[in-house]
Amino acid sequence: MAETVVKLRLNQQQLELIDRTIAQGVAPDRAALVRLALHEYAAARKAEAHKSGMEQAQ
Amino acid sequence: MTGRQIISELVMEPGTGKAIELLKGQILRIEQVEGGQCADFNCFNLHDYKEFMHCGRTRTVHGFHPTTGTFMWSAPPRERAMLYILEDTVGRNDVLFPRCSAYVYEAAYGFAVHTNCHDIQAEAQREYGLTPDDVHDSFNLFMCTGVDDDGHAFMTRQTTKPGDYVDLLALMDVLAVPNVCGADVMKTSNFALKPLKLTVFAATDTDLAQVPKTPMLASQRTPKDFRNPTIKTDRPLRRDPAYKPEFPNTPIVVTDLAVSLSPEELAMFNAVKRSDIYGEDDAAALRDLLFSWWEERFLQAHAGAPSIEST
Repeated sequence: MAETVVKLRLNQQQLELIDRTIAQGVAPDRAALVRLALHEYAAARKAEAHKSGMEQAQ
Repeated sequence: MTGRQIISELVMEPGTGKAIELLKGQILRIEQVEGGQCADFNCFNLHDYKEFMHCGRTRTVHGFHPTTGTFMWSAPPRERAMLYILEDTVGRNDVLFPRCSAYVYEAAYGFAVHTNCHDIQAEAQREYGLTPDDVHDSFNLFMCTGVDDDGHAFMTRQTTKPGDYVDLLALMDVLAVPNVCGADVMKTSNFALKPLKLTVFAATDTDLAQVPKTPMLASQRTPKDFRNPTIKTDRPLRRDPAYKPEFPNTPIVVTDLAVSLSPEELAMFNAVKRSDIYGEDDAAALRDLLFSWWEERFLQAHAGAPSIEST
């Protein structure tokens, strides 16, 4: 299936923070950093949902 | 506390306050005499009264009830640690409420004149040439407060006993202004006004060693960094015809960043995006996700306000 392109609108301050994060070696470029954020954010939400479900089951 | 030299002692009678020159490395103890008494407190940089303790900054960093191990901060753009709470035998203080004022007692209780923290603060600091307009929101020691379900701040009775105290260590030379809270028709001090004891000590090496290091950042500016360092001395405000705005980082320029998402990534995004806030605007939702992730992963200080150096 084709990829979907999302165009983020970021100002120079937001880009500065992103670029400083990239400079730490977190991701190779801006788009890769956004995708990394998506993966980790989604994984964290999934873990939270799982934990919440476990607590409700107890 | 062992081995501290006492520099001065004073009992503040009900309805009064006292401005005290508290030098760097000295400790001000504010102590219950009978118990059940709120103390309001303010302080200024002794050498530049325009730098003053800021409850807003302090509650952002330390929450609504600062206690042992927290700092009292000055207002932006100084934002320096002025005092350190070295010890607090009760652990219930307040930076939610402003000082009580004459208006409160007139409007709510009908008093033409009544003891109130604003006027007591003003009278105490008048000894140093400060005006009633120079009183700032107070750090309220021993004041038992909270926030109800509707978001309103409330105060209730306190349970302090004789001998309970808070020790404030000066990290710079300050004019410290404690006062006996004037509220006797509110729960604040259990419906009675009682004296408070003040003791100034010289801090010991052990005391000083307890203070965590605070960051020194370029953004902590002083008058030498101001475009206008001169204190205005007249009251009316008049436009400066030579003024040219110099807002930092302006103009704000927005740039597009195209990000390709695979079908799996799109499904992942659709599962977590905040459509409740951004609707169909996926660009805004992905931007939110990006910076929310950044905060979760990299932001170490509560509310983005580091108070203690990370090592």
